[in-house]
Amino acid sequence: MKNSLEVEGLKKYYGNLKAVDGISFSVEDGSVFGMLGPNGAGKTTTIETLIGLKEKDGGKVSILGYDPFLEKDLKEIKKKIGVQLQSPSLFPRLTVKEIVNLFASFYPDPLENDLVIEQVGLENKKNERVISLSGGQKHRLAVALAMISNGDLIFLDEPTTGLDPQARRQLWDVIQGLKEKGVTVFLTTHYMEEAEKLCDNLVIIDQGEIIAKGSPKKLINEYFEEKAVEFNDPGFSNEEIRDLKENLDVDRIGYEEKLNRFILYSKDIKKLMTNLINYSKSTKKEIDDITIRQASLEDVFIKLTGRGIRE
Amino acid sequence: MKIFRQVFIANLKEFLRDRSSLFWFLAFPVIFIFIFGMVYSGNGEQTFKIGVVRDAKNPFSNNISKALESVPNFEVIYNEYEIEREALNNGERALVITIPDIEYEQLNNNKSYDIKVLYDSTRQQTSQILLSVIRQVFNEVERNITGSPQLFEVSTETIQPDKINSFDFSYILPGILAMALMQLGLFGGLQILNLREQGIIRGLGVTPLPRITLLGSEILIRLIMALVQTFIIIFIGVTVFDLRIVGGFFEVTGLVILGAITFISLGYMLISFASSPESGERIIQAVQFPMLFLSGIFFPIAIMPDYIKPVVRAIPLTYLGDGLRQIMVGTTPEYSMSFNIMILIIWFIISLFVAIKFWKWE
Repeated sequence: MKNSLEVEGLKKYYGNLKAVDGISFSVEDGSVFGMLGPNGAGKTTTIETLIGLKEKDGGKVSILGYDPFLEKDLKEIKKKIGVQLQSPSLFPRLTVKEIVNLFASFYPDPLENDLVIEQVGLENKKNERVISLSGGQKHRLAVALAMISNGDLIFLDEPTTGLDPQARRQLWDVIQGLKEKGVTVFLTTHYMEEAEKLCDNLVIIDQGEIIAKGSPKKLINEYFEEKAVEFNDPGFSNEEIRDLKENLDVDRIGYEEKLNRFILYSKDIKKLMTNLINYSKSTKKEIDDITIRQASLEDVFIKLTGRGIRE
Repeated sequence: MKIFRQVFIANLKEFLRDRSSLFWFLAFPVIFIFIFGMVYSGNGEQTFKIGVVRDAKNPFSNNISKALESVPNFEVIYNEYEIEREALNNGERALVITIPDIEYEQLNNNKSYDIKVLYDSTRQQTSQILLSVIRQVFNEVERNITGSPQLFEVSTETIQPDKINSFDFSYILPGILAMALMQLGLFGGLQILNLREQGIIRGLGVTPLPRITLLGSEILIRLIMALVQTFIIIFIGVTVFDLRIVGGFFEVTGLVILGAITFISLGYMLISFASSPESGERIIQAVQFPMLFLSGIFFPIAIMPDYIKPVVRAIPLTYLGDGLRQIMVGTTPEYSMSFNIMILIIWFIISLFVAIKFWKWE
């Protein structure tokens, strides 16, 4: 197995701000690689630096065996990759078909225009101007423009942000389709379930640094053998919360402020549940809307950074 | 080449589909011409004061004078040459005619005589009309006397007045064209800033499209726009305001293209100093307004105070305006044509150099 993308100690600073601070990872040929992190973590800067839109401040990068910081290599790279940038900006008065045609003309061996438009589900918008598309449709068009290159490596910067659930699922299918074709995909996202579902490998990035890497499964096993029990806050006092932790043999307590829900993490879920019910009886605080689930990447993120991923 | 064509078509469609800017692009020259045309063409009953220098005792010149007096709208004033010349300089005369002393006996020996007509070069259009009237007058007189043609030759000479009188539309029209070319060029820079701001340049930057292709197509669109506006301006000038274009097609087109690329690169130079379309617009406005009023495209340079003349001589619009006036309507040159072209080329090279040096794609 070769690597389509190798990054070693990549740095990008804006004055004092270390947007990307020495990250290293590699992406295997034909795999889907995810970079996960909250807004402002450095995901977009990473992509833009990788593909030569921004100067690096240090580190080494190899894309398909070429060095994107050499003018000559970058030219070759651009022919062999497809890129979807986060804020897709296109000629607003061209139609979907016209702009796909235009982009197709840039590449030596592009995909079939109609096929790509169909894949991203825009066939009935083919003759509409870009300006009249909805945000989600524009997003899918941008993905189409990355795909039209027929490149070996496709960069997608938050491809599903702002999409409704149906459009998101549609786009997941597109990405899985790319993988089946043997295309390597590098995507950034701040949706946990998306990374979990699509990615073979991923890195979690926060404030310009990688804080965890591996397969979604490995990350979950490594950081969370526990299961999570969520329930609505019955109005526990601070003391009761402390008791909760000591008496119930809980590994960790989380609290989701927006929903007013407690999250208890434990390896022994049976024991936890029994204890919880008993505790509820003894304190006469009713606990309802209980859900038990496998710890997710979101939980990993909360554990690693101490804050929620959606900000 | 295939890519360039595609980008160019995309650019062109983008431009043609932007209805409001397309409207203003087409309406702008029309509006300007009509405003200036109405102000400067003069309308309705107008009398022209014709200065005549003659020997009052000579019966021949008396005959001519009577013929001139009989033309409606002509007010004939008799005086010394120097006085009349001064009056013309002050805008108090439309023309000054000098009639030589000729005896009737001399008229039949197949010799032609010089009738000197002096007029104001800034009033090209009016003067041309008056001249043809005067030629007719002389033809009439000629026929009365001999019936033989070509007895008189009307020769003309122009003066540059040292202060402004009113001047006519043939002076203004090339000025409007020069202004249109300047604005088209300078705002070409703004268009680049917009493409930058909208992220279109960035979006295309991740494709194999060489960015220079995008720029090339932008410049080509600008040049086409320049030629379209030139056509509109000349067309209206000729059909509505009876202007006669003296220069050939290639001369005019050549100078228009040189002017357009000079101002396009000047626009690109100016945006090197701008960080956003807003600041770019301010810089461009700050440059174009002084140019508009100090270049002599609307007022003859001669009337401007001396202390401002170094500025006038520095700005490229001065030379484009002068060049266009010469080529289009044949005004007396302020500078020689080759000098005009040379200065424009120097400006083109300087601004191109600065633009390339400080160019920012992002």
